[in-house]
Amino acid sequence: MKTVILFLIPLALLGGVIALFILTGGAGLDDKPAAPVESIDFERIQLHEGSITLTIRNTGQEPVNIGYIAIRDLVAEYTVRPSGGIPRMGAATVTLAYPWVEGEAYEILLFTANAIPFTTSIEAATETLPISLSTLLGFTLIGLYVGVLPVFLGIFWLPALRRLGPKAFTWLMALTIGLLIFLGIDAIAEALEKAGELGSPFQGPGLIGIGAISAFMLLDALSKRRAMANCDEVSTNERIALRISMGIGLHNLGEGLAIGSAFMLGEANLGMFFVIGFILQNITEGLGIIAPLVKQKPSLKYLGLLGLLGGGPAIVGTWLGGLVTLPALSVVFLALGAGAVLEVAFEIGKFIAKKSSTLPLTICSGVIFGMGLLYLTGFLIK
Amino acid sequence: MAILEDFDNGKVSTLPDGRTLREYWIVSEIMIVEVAPGVFYEAWTYNGRVPGPTIRATEGDMLRIYFTNATMHPHTMHFHGIHPGAMDGVFEPVLPGASFVYEFEAAPVGVHPYHCHIMPLASHISRGLYGTFIVDPKGGRPQVDREMVMVMSGIDLDFDNANDLYAVNFIPFYYDKHPIQIFIGERLRIYLVNMLEFDAVNSFHLHANFFDYYPTGTSLVPAEYTDTISQVQAQRGILEFSYQFPGKYMFHAHKTEFAELGWTGIFEVREKP
Repeated sequence: MKTVILFLIPLALLGGVIALFILTGGAGLDDKPAAPVESIDFERIQLHEGSITLTIRNTGQEPVNIGYIAIRDLVAEYTVRPSGGIPRMGAATVTLAYPWVEGEAYEILLFTANAIPFTTSIEAATETLPISLSTLLGFTLIGLYVGVLPVFLGIFWLPALRRLGPKAFTWLMALTIGLLIFLGIDAIAEALEKAGELGSPFQGPGLIGIGAISAFMLLDALSKRRAMANCDEVSTNERIALRISMGIGLHNLGEGLAIGSAFMLGEANLGMFFVIGFILQNITEGLGIIAPLVKQKPSLKYLGLLGLLGGGPAIVGTWLGGLVTLPALSVVFLALGAGAVLEVAFEIGKFIAKKSSTLPLTICSGVIFGMGLLYLTGFLIK
Repeated sequence: MAILEDFDNGKVSTLPDGRTLREYWIVSEIMIVEVAPGVFYEAWTYNGRVPGPTIRATEGDMLRIYFTNATMHPHTMHFHGIHPGAMDGVFEPVLPGASFVYEFEAAPVGVHPYHCHIMPLASHISRGLYGTFIVDPKGGRPQVDREMVMVMSGIDLDFDNANDLYAVNFIPFYYDKHPIQIFIGERLRIYLVNMLEFDAVNSFHLHANFFDYYPTGTSLVPAEYTDTISQVQAQRGILEFSYQFPGKYMFHAHKTEFAELGWTGIFEVREKP
């Protein structure tokens, strides 16, 4: 009881200070900005024949009212849902009546009732896909091509890898570390880019930190619990393979998310060349997943599970990216993927650390080769 | 050159009341135009050309313009001139595949523009939906040796509401690469129309010469004797001049930026054989 009271004393004092501030109108600190500070995030733009729909979020301190909207220097008629002011962190859907033309670029200028301008743009107008069964099937197909298929293709290297000696095995594990580090850096960079588009209340960099560190710490904690329970080499290797595929799976979720949202907006560059590039890059992920298993005989079922874990989330990612409008969510998923792959890299690092004294150049060249491999295949899809 | 000296006098017949009837057939259609080497632009046109056909009539003639829209977007033909509101081509959008007949009397005397009047107007005009409408006085303007139509405009390639290229008769540098051949002493009449979107003012400057200028062409008495005139959008006028000496003479916007981005041409003057 005494402890509770001791904890409550500072809170009671805080209440007093807040009351003082309210009663005295800011206690001498009631400085107001000369112009209202407003902030709006454009979260999604959808184009349908004769109309443009913007999903906007008020990321400022005060409620926001829309004054007028001009599209390419033309004041356009619009409707807002829900009508009325947009509360702090609230979202609204603004539909502009505008006969946009396929392939043209549009600059949209939104003036709030306080005459604060916000702009967004459409680089090349094209009809937004409707949310339908065929769209979902399209997403699934993309996820299959860029995620599941390449990972499984990579797994087919297993018989070949089995013929390699222990030195080659260590080199492969080092290569996997390189792949994972590269994927982690890539995901962090993409998350930072996306975070830059978020309004300040979302605290983009903080979200990345929470996502990446959570994934890292959780996977780490899981591995430690399992390690205590069971520690023969076969199960250790299988555990590592499982976690590599989980990490890569989380990464592919983020990748699928980016492709899904781009595809929905008609911005995805999904030419044949691009898809082939994705298959080439992600085939290396399958290689990474099976690298720890070359010395044992995993069951087909187990290999199938690994492939699904590693590639399947790409499908879920494309769905989420296409259907969920919250950009903050993409940032979180990208960060989770980054944390996961980096943790797995760290784990494999510990695993082969024992050999680093005997095979220093093998490990060094493996890591560099792994990173270089993703860099080179990246040319095909960037 | 086809656009420069091409006038559409319509299909001429006489109405029961003795007035002349002129009928014109105009189709709006999409055309891909190479506006710079390797740069293709999707122009929206009247009869597959920008500027559209130069519709020519005499004051008091009855005009019937059969307009058909063969594009994917609604369009109209809005004539500058004097006519009833229902013939103004503003509130009667002609939907894709539909037709409309504009019927009015040719008035007043002068050179006028016509253009599409569908929102967003800047896009529809900038894409190429405009042309020249000439109303001659009864008995015609004084005889000259050659008549030409020049419509000044710009091209916004990246749709940012700023012109990237400028031209007369739509193709940048066309008359610079293909100089207009004329003879010493030949009297020239140019119907000049400014349909430039996005920029406030356009201009015309003739080298080493002066011209009589008839703003809007509504008077037969020149308002000015000069070598440079300016026009805002839809402003127009008639220029008359002849060259005394052989040589190459530039004509261009006296806004250097426009000239160097394509709105420039050459008269090549030779002795009459």
